[in-house]
Amino acid sequence: MSTRLYEHPIFLEHITPEGHPERSDRLRSLNIALEHPNFARLERRDAPQANEDAILLAHPEEHLAFVMRSIPDAEDGEGQINQLEADTYASPKSLQAALTGVGGAMAAVDDVFTGAADNVFVASRPPGHHAEKNKAMGFCFFNNAAIAARHAQRTYGAERVAIVDWDVHHGNGTQDIFWDDPSVLFCSTHQMPLYPGSGAKTETGGKGTIVNAPLSPNSGSDHFREAFKSRVLPALDDFRPDLIIISAGFDAHHRDPLAQINLTGEDFDWATGRVLEMADKSAKNRVVSLLEGGYDLEGLAESAGLHILRMMKG
Amino acid sequence: MSESAKPDVSDYSFEKAVAELESIVARLERGDVALNESIEIYERGEALKKHCEALLSAAENRIEKIRLDRAGKPVGVEPLDSQ
Repeated sequence: MSTRLYEHPIFLEHITPEGHPERSDRLRSLNIALEHPNFARLERRDAPQANEDAILLAHPEEHLAFVMRSIPDAEDGEGQINQLEADTYASPKSLQAALTGVGGAMAAVDDVFTGAADNVFVASRPPGHHAEKNKAMGFCFFNNAAIAARHAQRTYGAERVAIVDWDVHHGNGTQDIFWDDPSVLFCSTHQMPLYPGSGAKTETGGKGTIVNAPLSPNSGSDHFREAFKSRVLPALDDFRPDLIIISAGFDAHHRDPLAQINLTGEDFDWATGRVLEMADKSAKNRVVSLLEGGYDLEGLAESAGLHILRMMKG
Repeated sequence: MSESAKPDVSDYSFEKAVAELESIVARLERGDVALNESIEIYERGEALKKHCEALLSAAENRIEKIRLDRAGKPVGVEPLDSQ
C-alpha cells in the first residue's frame, strides 16, 4: 500500500493549560515512534491549511464565528489561553491548528480519490469527533471526520461514506452531524458509561445508519473484537462505502488515564486490518484515518505506530 | 470540589451512598460531566457501588444469622459480624 501521513508544526502550537491531557507532547511522542526504520517508506507531508469556508461543510456559520471569536489575540501574549467550555481551550494559534487539521483531512480525501495514495493518516490536533454541528466540546473545535466525509461527497461524488470511530469516548459530534443522513454510516465502539454520555445501542439515527457498540468499563481485547466483528464489520459490509474514514483515537489502550478499556497495540493493528479488508471490498482501498484521542504518551505512540504500520502493509 | 477530593465513602450510610451514586449515574447519563473529569467521577461511583454492596452483604449475613437462630434457639437478634 502507498501510505501518506499529514503533519504540521502548527499542531504543536495549539496550547492547552498545564496538566491538560490533550497536549502537544502527544504528537512529539508519535513523532519519536515514527523515526523507526519501519516507517522509512511512509510519505510524510505538511498538511495544508483549510479555507474557513470548509468548516461550513459540517457546521453552521455561527459555530465558525463562535470559534473565531474565542481565539485569544496574539497581542495579548502567546501564553494567553481562553476556555470555550469545560474541557476545551484555545491559544492564539489554535484556529490555525484546527484549520490545518481540517485541511489535512481534506487533502487526505483528495489523495485517496486521485490515487496519490491508497490510504492516509492525519496526525493532527486538536481532535474533532466531539464537535457537534453547533458546539465545540471535549477538546474539539471542528469535526474533521465529518468535514472530510462531506468533502468526499461534494468533490468526488462519493455516494456512501463510512466513519469508524474507535476512540474510547463516543463520537457524539459525528453522530449529531449525520443523525438523519442515510449517505453516511457512523460506527462507534466506546466505553459506556463515560464522557460524553451518549452512544447507547438504541441510538441508531433517523435513517438507521448509526451503529453504536458500547463497551463496559474494564472490557479488554475479547469484548472489543467481538463488538467489532458482530456490530461494526457487518454494518460496513452491508453499507458498501466508497470511502472509510477512521476516527482513530487510541485512548482505549490499557495505559490510558482517561478510560478503563484494556486494549493493546495489537488490537489496534487488528482493527486496522479489518477496516482495510472492508475498504478493499467496496472502497478501492480508500481509507483516511484521523487522529482523535489517546492521552498516555507511550500507549499512543505504540498504538498509532502499529495502526500506521498496518496501513502501510495493507 | 473535585471527585477525588470528596470524603472517603467508607463512613457513608447506605442511603447516603445510594443517593450520591444515583446522582453520579444521572450526571453520566446526561453527559453533564467534563471529559477530563469523567473518569474521576466514574471511579467515585465505583467506590460508592462497592461500599453499597458491602453494606448489603453485611445485612444479608445478619438475616442468615437470624434464620439459624430460629432453627435452634428462641428468636433473637444477634449480628453475625459486629464490625
